[in-house]
Amino acid sequence: MPAFVPYLLHTLFPPTVLRPTEIGADVLIVATGVIIVTVLTRQKKWGWLWREWLTTVDHKRIAVMYLIAAIAMLFRGGVDALMMRTNLALPSVHFISAEEYNEVFTTHGTIMIFFMAMPLIFALFNAVIPLMIGARDVAFPRLNAVSFWLFAFGALLFNISFVVGGSPNAGWTAYPPLTELAFNPGPGENYYFLALFISGIGTTITGINFLVTILRMRAPGMTLMRMPLFAWTTLCTSALILFAFPPLTVALGTSLLDRLFHASFYTLGHGGMPMMYVNLFWLFGHPEVYIVVLPAFGIFSEVVPTFSRKPLFGYTAMVVSVVAIMVLSYGTWVHHFFTMGAGPSVNVFFGLSTMLIAIPTGVKIFNWIFTMWGGRIRLTVPMLYQLAFIPTFVVGGATGVLLATVPVDYQLHNTYFLVAHFHNTLIGGTVFGLLSGLYYWWPKMFGYKLDERQGKWAFWLFFLGFWVTFGPQYLLGLEGMTRRLWTYPLGLGWHALNLISTIGAYGMGAGFVVLVYNVVWSMQHGERDLTGDPWDGRTLEWSLPSPAPEYNFARIPVVTERDAWWAMKARGETTAVRVRPDEISALELPRNSAMPFFLGLGFFVLGFGLTFRWWWIAGLGLAGILGAMLWAGFDYEDRKHVHAEEIRRIEAALGRLEA
Amino acid sequence: MSVHRAPDAEEHLPYLEAHFESETRFPWIKVVGYAGSLVLTLVAFWAVSAHWMSPTALLAFILGLAVAQAALQLGVFMHLRESRGPSWQIAGLGLGLFIAVGLVGMSIWIMLFKSGVS
Amino acid sequence: MSQAWPEMEEQTLPAEFAHEEESIKITGFWMFLVTDVLIFASLFSLYAVYAGRMGGEPNPATFFHLGPALAETLLLLTSSFTVGLAIWFMRRRQVGAMTAWLVATLVLGATFVAIEAREFLGDIQSGYTWHQSAFLSAFFTLVGTHGAHVTFGILMALTLLIQVARRGLTPVTARKLYTFSLYWHFLDVVWIFIYSVVYLGGRLG
Repeated sequence: MPAFVPYLLHTLFPPTVLRPTEIGADVLIVATGVIIVTVLTRQKKWGWLWREWLTTVDHKRIAVMYLIAAIAMLFRGGVDALMMRTNLALPSVHFISAEEYNEVFTTHGTIMIFFMAMPLIFALFNAVIPLMIGARDVAFPRLNAVSFWLFAFGALLFNISFVVGGSPNAGWTAYPPLTELAFNPGPGENYYFLALFISGIGTTITGINFLVTILRMRAPGMTLMRMPLFAWTTLCTSALILFAFPPLTVALGTSLLDRLFHASFYTLGHGGMPMMYVNLFWLFGHPEVYIVVLPAFGIFSEVVPTFSRKPLFGYTAMVVSVVAIMVLSYGTWVHHFFTMGAGPSVNVFFGLSTMLIAIPTGVKIFNWIFTMWGGRIRLTVPMLYQLAFIPTFVVGGATGVLLATVPVDYQLHNTYFLVAHFHNTLIGGTVFGLLSGLYYWWPKMFGYKLDERQGKWAFWLFFLGFWVTFGPQYLLGLEGMTRRLWTYPLGLGWHALNLISTIGAYGMGAGFVVLVYNVVWSMQHGERDLTGDPWDGRTLEWSLPSPAPEYNFARIPVVTERDAWWAMKARGETTAVRVRPDEISALELPRNSAMPFFLGLGFFVLGFGLTFRWWWIAGLGLAGILGAMLWAGFDYEDRKHVHAEEIRRIEAALGRLEA
Repeated sequence: MSVHRAPDAEEHLPYLEAHFESETRFPWIKVVGYAGSLVLTLVAFWAVSAHWMSPTALLAFILGLAVAQAALQLGVFMHLRESRGPSWQIAGLGLGLFIAVGLVGMSIWIMLFKSGVS
Repeated sequence: MSQAWPEMEEQTLPAEFAHEEESIKITGFWMFLVTDVLIFASLFSLYAVYAGRMGGEPNPATFFHLGPALAETLLLLTSSFTVGLAIWFMRRRQVGAMTAWLVATLVLGATFVAIEAREFLGDIQSGYTWHQSAFLSAFFTLVGTHGAHVTFGILMALTLLIQVARRGLTPVTARKLYTFSLYWHFLDVVWIFIYSVVYLGGRLG
């Protein structure tokens, strides 16, 4: 056996990845891999997969890929959560070790924010925004695919840490000195910084892409103040990404310089300041909270009018409050580290600015309620999530105002009160919102509805499970249970509340299982959407067939007012979306490209090489990245010509051609 | 070719109105801008070398010159107002600069630790 | 899309704006520059906070070499002027003059990078590495990130010169040259702040 083999085995598979959980995960990964490869080979689907999906630049297909990845990551992050809750169910349960507990709460937070919430948001942006504003694609279709592959390979890099080399273990915020090389020499934190760096580049590109799409590619007549609210929140979210991700990129990059190349930014010696990392991280981190919650606000602003059959109450106030939240969210980041002790003036400033955000948010809550007021409400699954959101998010917001009060924060900082608070906003806001949007736009994405009865089961399990999990955690926090605690002894009075909380967590897990069953069942048996407008919708995406053809609109609609499709229906002009054969002209559509996939692969190889300090592998990855960029620069054939006859044929098959 | 949509006729945003540069004669404005940029650089260099003012005043002075220099580059060289439809880059850059200044200024303020409790 | 020069009704617009999708890419490039503004702002905040946190190196007043910094500034300002001329000639469709001014820009940029590299190497040879202090980490990273941007810009422009030689001036190559010029001017602006804050500001003590 050559000498390097034991070294390689020990580096890639140290004892920390040979524990029962990791071995179990290995078996699961290999088994899933074998099944996928076998099925694809048996059915001769490799070429189809490559041509139709992996090289696609169609926003609707990229949306589906984001969605699949997000649900897989929801599973991974959820299993992490259940492992934590199992360990805390009773006093002195040592189901997993303290070391493993550190890894699990780190990956739970990181995956849920960066690899579950973000891709789920981008899935809905991609699925809906071009259809909603009357565009044929996003502004930069090939870059859209680049974004996806940077996310996907970043997520892959992060997830393999579990079974190759060792997980990160310093919390989802990765504060130094917990991440300082001297105290944390393994590859885990390298994985964290590199995976987030890579997927962060992709996210920044997505932000630019949707910002420009909405600013420059709206249908004629769709002025800013005629846009659906979801387009507004997407616009503001994209702008937030533009301004928030650069500080994160710098925080991650400088941490990497510390760990890989011995710089002294955040080291305890040599004048480094760990708190400066915290400052830069939360310069990103607080706007990030609004990056994930603004899309949910947008979704509710579409769902509520549709299922109340009323126009949105206070459209202008809604727009103003979204923009206000966007700007204000930049001035609040210090509330994540009041206890650093920057001084009374700093803390008071940031405490007040944090409380200020409650005002525009309150405006939105009232406007949704007033939209429902006097409406003809249909209690569909999307609407149930909206109704569950209002009280849940209000509690999350109110406890946020409590925490913004500096003296209170000094007491409650890093307790379970804080844990309960941010899950109230992130699950009650973001996850409820995204699930609502998913059920709402599912027929548009796939051409069939998700079964309502199963959906309601999933909803109740998830919603009640949520409150059973996190309600007790407020009390635990007040009783002094701190965050990230591995285990606790009997006699602190925490055991009953912890047990309840764990039962709730399993309830949420059951909700997830029903949700997946709902998707799989509905694929076969769900009600097909033949009209393209199953909910009697208001906005332009419902004027298209489900799913929409590759070019979306055979003829771009002209918009004259808000809720354009509703207005057309009210005036009996729905035939306006049909086209006469002679109105159809040939189109230039974006052409599929393998470049984004290989660019992502290059970043993956670079990241893997840097993680283990194998410079030649990193060099290989860098060469791949530069090669893919050159390829992109010299590729002038990024569009394909689609003949008018082809479009006429598709429109005729969809029954949308005027005789 | 496919034009995705008609120009944005309905939007009236006076501050973002597009304007294309159309110089047909030799671009003297660029020469003047270049000369101006050299003057600003040399004045800053001289002011610091000669210790023209107190250090604090001098720092404010050279920062002012740098801002003037940036404005000159944006105005003379960077075609800031060129766009089809509204010049969205002005709004984006304006908001970006506002946040950039806040980011640097507030970070300095926060990390000073002027505190009785730290 | 057609590679031909735009037809009469679009002649009023410069070539790089003549096609809607190319003009959208210019807006996108501006938004990318906005993210880069924030990248440099974050690095400036690190530098400003770490300005006093040294580890045995001489203080900035003697550490920084004002002469090379002034030379670098003049080089970059001149290159900003020359790339402006290149775009002016591009709009007059004078490919030869445009290429000449672009090459001049790249030569000036390469000289800038060379001076910076020499300064960095000199510091490292004197034992002043970024490991030594948070201040030097922030200094090398801020100035080095800018230098890396300039280097990347030079490489990008070289591939553009090849594309123009092969395809001539089309709406697509014109758009790429135009966005390159935006990038280059932007780096000039960033350098002005580095020159003022780091080099001149360091002299103030």
